[in-house]
Amino acid sequence: MFRSRSWFGGAWGRPKNPHSLERLKYLHNILCKNTTVSESNRGTLVESLRCIAEILIWGDQNDSSVFDFFLEKNMLSYFLKIMRQKCGGSSYVCVQLLQTLNILFENIRNETSLYYLLSNNHVNSIIVHKFDFSDEEVMAYYISFLKTLSLKLNNHTIHFFYNEHTKDFPLYTEAIKFFNHSESMVRIAVRTLTLNVYRVQDASMLRFIRDRTAAPYFSNLVWFIGKHILELDACVRNDADHQSQQKLDDLVAEHLDHLHYINDILCLNIPDLNDVLTEHLLHKLLVPLYIYSLTSESTRRLQTSSPYNRDHIQSIEAIAKNLEAILKGKNSDHSPTRMTFPRQRMDIDDESKPSVSCVVALFLLSQVFLIITHGPIVHALAWIILQSDSSVFEDGATKILEMYISNAKSNVKLEFSKPQLSLEKALESSSGHERDYTTPEYGDPKRFGYDDKDTDQSSCDLDPELVSTSLPSTSHISESSSIANDSTEDLVTQIHSIKSDVTVKANMPDSPLPDSGIDSCSSKTTSEFNNITDEEKQKLLGVTSTVVLERAVPIEKILERENREIAKRPFLKTILDSLDCNENDYKALFALCLLFALINNKGVNTELLDTLLCPETEDQMLDSSKSSSSQTEVRSERNDQNTPTPSHSNQKMQSFNAFLIAKLMAIANLSCKPASKVRLVTLELSVTLVRIAMQGASGVAGARHITSAEALRSRAAALARNFYKCDDIFLDMFEDEYCEMSKRPLNVEWLCMDAAILLPPTRTPMSGIAFAKRLPSGEIERARRAIRTFFLIRDLYLKLTGKQETQLPLTNLAPFVQVGEVLDLNDSDLISCDIIQKDGTWQHRFLAVDNIQIILVEPDKQRLGWGVAKLVGSLQDLEIQGDKEDPRCLHLTIHKPRVGASGALPRTILLRAKFKFDDHIRSMAAKQRLTKGRTKSRQKKMQQIGRLLEVSGISAPAMAPRHNRPLFSRPGLTAIRRSTGTDGDETDRRLRRPSAHMLKDGIVVYRERTTSRERLVNELINLSVSRSSSAHGSRDGSPRSRSEEIPLEDIRRNVASTSATPVVAVTQSQPSTSMPLPKMAASSSEETSFISSESRPKRKGLIETI
Amino acid sequence: MAYAYLFKYIIIGDTGVGKSCLLLQFTDKRFQPVHDLTIGVEFGARMITIDGKQIKLQIWDTAGQEAFRSITRSYYRGAAGALLVYDITRRDTFNHLTTWLEDARQHSNSNMVIMLIGNKSDLESRREVKKEEGEAFAREHGLVFMETSAKTAANVEEAFINTAKEIYEKIQEGVFDINNEANGIKIGPQHSAAGGAGGAGGAGAGGAAGGGCC
Repeated sequence: MFRSRSWFGGAWGRPKNPHSLERLKYLHNILCKNTTVSESNRGTLVESLRCIAEILIWGDQNDSSVFDFFLEKNMLSYFLKIMRQKCGGSSYVCVQLLQTLNILFENIRNETSLYYLLSNNHVNSIIVHKFDFSDEEVMAYYISFLKTLSLKLNNHTIHFFYNEHTKDFPLYTEAIKFFNHSESMVRIAVRTLTLNVYRVQDASMLRFIRDRTAAPYFSNLVWFIGKHILELDACVRNDADHQSQQKLDDLVAEHLDHLHYINDILCLNIPDLNDVLTEHLLHKLLVPLYIYSLTSESTRRLQTSSPYNRDHIQSIEAIAKNLEAILKGKNSDHSPTRMTFPRQRMDIDDESKPSVSCVVALFLLSQVFLIITHGPIVHALAWIILQSDSSVFEDGATKILEMYISNAKSNVKLEFSKPQLSLEKALESSSGHERDYTTPEYGDPKRFGYDDKDTDQSSCDLDPELVSTSLPSTSHISESSSIANDSTEDLVTQIHSIKSDVTVKANMPDSPLPDSGIDSCSSKTTSEFNNITDEEKQKLLGVTSTVVLERAVPIEKILERENREIAKRPFLKTILDSLDCNENDYKALFALCLLFALINNKGVNTELLDTLLCPETEDQMLDSSKSSSSQTEVRSERNDQNTPTPSHSNQKMQSFNAFLIAKLMAIANLSCKPASKVRLVTLELSVTLVRIAMQGASGVAGARHITSAEALRSRAAALARNFYKCDDIFLDMFEDEYCEMSKRPLNVEWLCMDAAILLPPTRTPMSGIAFAKRLPSGEIERARRAIRTFFLIRDLYLKLTGKQETQLPLTNLAPFVQVGEVLDLNDSDLISCDIIQKDGTWQHRFLAVDNIQIILVEPDKQRLGWGVAKLVGSLQDLEIQGDKEDPRCLHLTIHKPRVGASGALPRTILLRAKFKFDDHIRSMAAKQRLTKGRTKSRQKKMQQIGRLLEVSGISAPAMAPRHNRPLFSRPGLTAIRRSTGTDGDETDRRLRRPSAHMLKDGIVVYRERTTSRERLVNELINLSVSRSSSAHGSRDGSPRSRSEEIPLEDIRRNVASTSATPVVAVTQSQPSTSMPLPKMAASSSEETSFISSESRPKRKGLIETI
Repeated sequence: MAYAYLFKYIIIGDTGVGKSCLLLQFTDKRFQPVHDLTIGVEFGARMITIDGKQIKLQIWDTAGQEAFRSITRSYYRGAAGALLVYDITRRDTFNHLTTWLEDARQHSNSNMVIMLIGNKSDLESRREVKKEEGEAFAREHGLVFMETSAKTAANVEEAFINTAKEIYEKIQEGVFDINNEANGIKIGPQHSAAGGAGGAGGAGAGGAAGGGCC
């Protein structure tokens, strides 16, 4: 923007050399003359400032006298003087000033120069200068300036910014005031700066940060995060129709940003800082907002005993209003039910206790566990979730934290509430007098009264939304002293905290549960247990039906016991209850994400995770039978368990492994139903978790689990079988889905970045939601879903049993010829053709076809009869089209063979061109051969799928019946192989592909014969003509029509088969000279097998394509 | 200064490829380092005109912040355009493009316009990466490509402006949700008043400093 130079005439008598001391002196002179900024001179000033930066950088690298002069004349003070003028146009000058400083600090390489610049404290004066921050440009340059400075921080330079004696650190304190600025880039810059500051290892500075700023900054930060979450929650609640997905995306991304930021701070490993942050995070956000939201409505209603949990029956409107009020920060005007005067609000404070929906809470907690690995935080959270009851809302997580932090005091009150002071106020007052960072609130309580007046002012203090929308022109860092209006809540909180302080004394309050009675809860659970088991027990039993009966009894018992235990853990109960997918899998997906994140978090104590992952040991089971007989025992045991000591290894914690597995298997079983409401992503996640849970710590799944997995697999196969059809699309779908699945394994971290899953599951692809994350729409997608379900469950089964995948992917690359390979084509069927491409280029090639591939070869110059493969494509995907005008021509589109992950790419076209043959007969022959090859290679794959899905009529290749023996064997090997007959081929084939196939169904064979006879006529005519062989015609209608199945290229390899056929008679004349084409010979056995087994597809009329 | 739109850019790429010099070269042309002086800066803004509309470009360099994951991901998300820069005299900087691109694609909004820049084109004698290679990479990944020199200012102007043009086109096509500032696009004050589009608050920059621009 500063590009106009025209005014800068040469008449000023400036020195010619722009880089010289003289020039700087001249510029100094200009600054001296223009101490007052005005319309007329500001251009001059700006240009001078730019030149100064340039000269200084030049001087830094070339001439130290430049810097000396700069310092001697105290030129930075001129900068300050200019800044401090409030006259019009100064923002223009200010911007240039800031940019000049940016350039200076960024480009100076010489350490001494840097020290000089920083030495006289002018920089700090510039930092604290109150620029016009409502000007976005000034704001941007200012914050960039601060950020640039922060990048220069190290153990030496820190002392220029942080004054140990005056306890002053303007660079940091000024910057963090903008932590919630409405402009995202500003917020990012602030975060960068704070991280740059923290990582300077200066004890004194860090002490200052901790004592003076940590509590205010972190509490405000946490509040800011919490407000975003409330907004996010409101967005989810009010958007059943996926209208505001964009906004949701941003809110989710924002939350992730916050978590990453917090994690980055924690990862710097500054113990003192981490302790403060951990406490604030847990007590001000994670427990009171996230965890609290996991308590079901009914639980909350029943927790009347707790001062925090009185009567939470709220209508949706009330909650919405509540949110609205909280978000707006003013609760004085509307809703008479919510009185805002502090003294009256005491009575109804519960209503203002914010919470988010269970779905959102689960989602956010998953993100927390996916991102943050700081032990104290994640472990405490995990412990609360897995072990704790609602008493945590009174006690906080202090006890758990004690394990990590020696001086953990629960001084940060457990409440999601607005910090009493705006950050700026807090920072100001903190510089006044000494304060312990653990002081719960940093405001002066006496000031509550009179601060109530300026509510509006205060509300905009902390509300970036408000600032950006309703008060655009006001600087949001309001200078007016204020205490957030929400302080009223805090007052209440304080009173509560006194109350709860009393209760804290008890180790774990006896009555965290409704009516403090085990009776009531156990009676409740039994009824619930019945609900669950009604179908789950059945499923479980159904799945394990083959297990010896006496084992089933303990499982039931375990389940029963676990269920009873779960009832005492409201949060775990919510999570596990959410896994119920009978209606839909909306909640279940998040519960799965949370469990996954929890289990995979490195910061969570493994012993704690064993409660989910390890089955109960024998003696525990004995224990359980004892304890379940006596309720008092259960209770005492629970109290023991609640002692949060992971080091406590002799005390086994209650395991929920069996219960979890039952729940997860229920999801998997549900998704094997045709009209299931389980999304693929949910299934994939539960399958992953089932595997982890079944394998436990030992890594080996028990026999019981394997049996149930096996049963599950056959269910999934049955589901996919429904869609097993012989139209082309099924095969393509099958292969595509496999590639897709193997290419993109589930990434839970990415899944949890996707805001789309926060909205209720939908069916329509028009929502833009990925297939796996929604329900299938229409028949094709249902088929895709069934196929994918099958893959996932098959994979689970294989992994549990430790078996290797041998049948997938369907395509095996091994039999494909490589481009450039030299092939022995003596006596092969080669069709000469010209390949004419679109651009007119023209090549002469020979076309060879075997059972899976089409090969274009060029004669090998060295050896007669050999050829070099120039292009190899798969027959399966070949597209063949006749030419309407020229019968000698065919249009072919050849695709790359799809194998493995590369197959997931959109099918790569190798060649799309016109093939011109010598005459129309040869063209027809080629067409015939290619079409048939294509059909067969597809049929072969359908057979493979049929076997995978256990379609009846397609059996395993175990023993090939004699009568199905291939009609032809390879000429070169016949001499050797003849003695072994088919068996040789069979072994060969099985070695290469264990899934080779055979037909044993006599009826199918018969049908196949009849159909193949029908197309015999056409084919034979073509063949006979093209081959100028005379013997063919005689075979029309021959009972041995099967011989027509002579597969293309392999014809040349034939020798007499076990049963003499007319064809053989023809071909026999040739083999004397023929040598097998090494590569192709290998596949001949496969071919024979698929000839005999192409039964099923054919019945459905694939012949029509030929 | 009044503008119709504000586009936020980020510059990414290995250290030492000349990101900050490109930025300064574009925002403050005066620093044409005719004399062997490399000067860069981490932030800059400049007004350009596209289709008769005043558009302000705000460019943020992310250098030195790679250590913190939270910072890079936030930067990506807040930008409408990104210049992905490598140094034609250093092959390793070219080899790292894939990683940068993956990062960018993962964290940015899907509409972000990415321009590939091969910088230091003035150092032809020391060239290690052929122009064709850059072109091929760009084609493969659907980027716009350009070779620039921050030193001679060759193509610098074009690189930034072409990116802006592409963003502008996307706005015209309705691809960008311009009311959502998280996309790195902001509607200027006068524009929002006319269109009634909300969300563009706080832009009271005032026209006082209008001189000297463009």
